Amino acid sequence: MKIIRVIAEVGLLYVFYLIGDYLQKLLHLPVPGSIVGLLLLFVLLLLRIVPVKLIENGSSFILAYLPMFFIPATAGIMNHLDIFSGRGLLLIAILVVSSVLTMVVTAHSSEWIAGLSASRSSRRPYRARGIREKGKEA
Amino acid sequence: MRILLAAGFVLFNVVIYLMMALLYKRYRLPVLLPALTATFTVVVLLLGFHISYDTYMIGGQWINRLLGPAVVSLAYPLYKQRNVLWENLPAVLGGTITGLLVGMLSGLLMAASLGFSKIYVLSILPKSITTAVAIQISGNLGGDSSLTSVFVMIAGFTGAIGGPYIIKLFRIRSESGIGIGLGTASHALGTAKALEYGEQSVSMSSVAMTVCAIVGSIVGPLVAWIMYH
Repeated sequence: MKIIRVIAEVGLLYVFYLIGDYLQKLLHLPVPGSIVGLLLLFVLLLLRIVPVKLIENGSSFILAYLPMFFIPATAGIMNHLDIFSGRGLLLIAILVVSSVLTMVVTAHSSEWIAGLSASRSSRRPYRARGIREKGKEA
Repeated sequence: MRILLAAGFVLFNVVIYLMMALLYKRYRLPVLLPALTATFTVVVLLLGFHISYDTYMIGGQWINRLLGPAVVSLAYPLYKQRNVLWENLPAVLGGTITGLLVGMLSGLLMAASLGFSKIYVLSILPKSITTAVAIQISGNLGGDSSLTSVFVMIAGFTGAIGGPYIIKLFRIRSESGIGIGLGTASHALGTAKALEYGEQSVSMSSVAMTVCAIVGSIVGPLVAWIMYH
């Protein structure tokens, strides 16, 4: 019974993907159709138009086996084995350096922004009270 | 005949994945991650038996087709974490956008200045984005999906293995900073590592990973356009 539910829900996710793909082509969006589908589903979940129960099992199933779906695409590397030797190794070094940079810049800029909004929100109650009192006077 | 061949390759793919997933469950070593070991086994077997990639893809393309709904299904964890997202929206958005720009530009500039051809440079671009989305971005831009898929794995391992050193060396102090950093730079592998830094880290990392995929699919083509126009 659960299997039928999962298959039906995966089918529904597929429909969202097809709609996303259709919208992407129709509107010439630079974003992949699957991302359009993701955003569409996310908004409909937030608006409670699509109840989360309708996609819960299917999503959990796909996400649990996610790495399996990458294997065929990744196996294409068998036609590019040269990247693991000679100059190809430079690419690996570039990837490592650039990933370290990504992590450091992301972490520090998010901490900086969180610090800014934290100091602003600690001032907020004071100001909020001021506004409310003014409202009362009027 | 063709249908039998397709079914055979799908089964081959699933069985190898399940075996490797069991192996990983037993030993829990990062080098045994099924995405890595299963792909490796598939490639070795195909090369060993002189089966071409195109032949394998007669079945493989059917599994590939599920990548679209797989990306859509990321809406579910994002929805479950929506409160984390709203509460930290400026930090998550600001962090991922700056990090993505620096990551994409640094990768492109290093690869281009070392003389790598356009296909390699464009395949590097979406490296910090979760595989299912990255290979679509790469394909759309004129990169090679399988190169990108391997590059995404390397970016993932950089965070999963190097993460603790990066955190110490570059003084990343907050649980949120660690989570957003790992999720943006190293997607799902980074999020798995974030488990070790507490609940706040994991939820921030998983939110950052999905936001990074959405933002990256918008920023990516822009960066590629700036680079090649």
